[in-house]
Amino acid sequence: MKDVAVLGVGMYRFGMWDVPNAVMAREAGMAALRDANLSFRDVQAAYVGHIFAPVMSAVRVMKEFGLTGLPVQHVENASATGSAAFREACLQVASGEYDVVMVLGFDKMTTMIQQSAQSTSAEYMEDAILPAAFFALWATRRMHERGMKAEHLARIAAKNWNNGALNPMAQRQPRERTTVERVLQSRMVAWPLTTMMCCPMGDGAACAIVGRADLAKKLNPGRPVVKVVASALQTEKYAPGHLFIGPVVGPAQMTIDTSRQVYEEAGLGPEDLDLVQVHDAFAIEELEYYELLGLCRPGEAEKCIEEGDFELGGRVPVSTDGGLIARGHPGGPTGLAQIWETTLQLRGEAGKRQVEGARVGLCHMMGGGSVCVIHILQRD
Amino acid sequence: MSEIRKTRIPVKPGYFTVPEDPNEPPKLLGSRCNRCGEAYFPRRAICARAECLSEDLVDITLGPEGTLYSYTFVHMPLFGSSNLEHMDGYGVGQIDLPEGPRVQLPLAGKREDFFIGQRLLAELDKMREEGNNEVVIVRFRPIEVKG
Repeated sequence: MKDVAVLGVGMYRFGMWDVPNAVMAREAGMAALRDANLSFRDVQAAYVGHIFAPVMSAVRVMKEFGLTGLPVQHVENASATGSAAFREACLQVASGEYDVVMVLGFDKMTTMIQQSAQSTSAEYMEDAILPAAFFALWATRRMHERGMKAEHLARIAAKNWNNGALNPMAQRQPRERTTVERVLQSRMVAWPLTTMMCCPMGDGAACAIVGRADLAKKLNPGRPVVKVVASALQTEKYAPGHLFIGPVVGPAQMTIDTSRQVYEEAGLGPEDLDLVQVHDAFAIEELEYYELLGLCRPGEAEKCIEEGDFELGGRVPVSTDGGLIARGHPGGPTGLAQIWETTLQLRGEAGKRQVEGARVGLCHMMGGGSVCVIHILQRD
Repeated sequence: MSEIRKTRIPVKPGYFTVPEDPNEPPKLLGSRCNRCGEAYFPRRAICARAECLSEDLVDITLGPEGTLYSYTFVHMPLFGSSNLEHMDGYGVGQIDLPEGPRVQLPLAGKREDFFIGQRLLAELDKMREEGNNEVVIVRFRPIEVKG
């Protein structure tokens, strides 16, 4: 990725809100413009992601900022929607087509749930099974192959809940410290995953302004410049044992392949990362991604969890903002919340959850299990 | 017995057989590539292997036996089902079929009944009634006990 920087970021806190998409999106977008020290007049194009809103919602929502005639493009890639929109915007800047592009994600997952609750029939066979089941199947297999215990998953979840407590934009901000015991005692969803090991339903919005790296210095003199040094998006490659039918499918190998691509593009390796955000919709995912992203060797995730490697203050903190489990996962904006967090961390503006001296951060998202998007951000 | 047997119809056509004989296990509907031999579930028109991509595929049936690769038990009702058996939850497994494909489908039984490597047999499971029809989904039942 050539000379592309994150010029500004903004969020509307994730949660269960009685607030329209347009309002959440406007507030997140205006926050990002203020952070970038730009006016909407300066935005040359917008890439907008949502999963659950009706047709043309992006164009309608963008009118909130003013009718400047700019090109608006909808992007949808399930959970990886915001990340995929971010990638498109970065590619546009890298290509020289535009200097300043807005990436906006918003969603009201609560509306989607109400709609699907009204329908009683499973139109597709795969709709019958709960998405959590797919990742519970990963967990059972991991227990069988590596001797993982439910306690390891609970420790990841507790870490993320406690990180969420330090993030003012997190959906879950528990006042009391979350313990492993509390996570294990919460309601069972799909054995061995308890409700506190799973991400919540929610609403929210997030925005990033990306642009030419030289603009970042001019717009905000003295502030560290956060560059997007690598971007990759992959879908599934067929291998024997591939699952085609299920609410979520997709091979773990996709994260290995996509991460290799970004490491090569950035000229960096997993040992260079100071912090990492992953698609931790379920705690078992985060555990697997430690190994798939190369943060530890295969088979060592349990040991590293026990040693606190991925906690704030650990070797390489993961899900520093609470992750999908605590920061929340409304859909469209989720990947952009990762960019928000990583940008603040690399600027040294992450407050109580600041990773000391952070220079390189990786953001990983999965969409429907079948799309993997990874970005590496680096402080210049 | 005066009860009229309802006609069993699949929750979605094209994925599994519904045999006339209620004692006969269903089979899954798949495809095999005539060029490279790879077998798939569900049916497809083009071989998925990047090295092949042949359009010469034939319909085959898969199962009804399988081996459990992984399992869980979901503590929520099976979506689209009004069968009382599904109200407290349902098992889900990834099942390796002898012809090659791995499938993800509901399991009959409780979590304690399942183990990795277990032999299973396909069966039809009632989800709900619609007029004179009984809507069924395919699932797998352990035919081997633990220990």
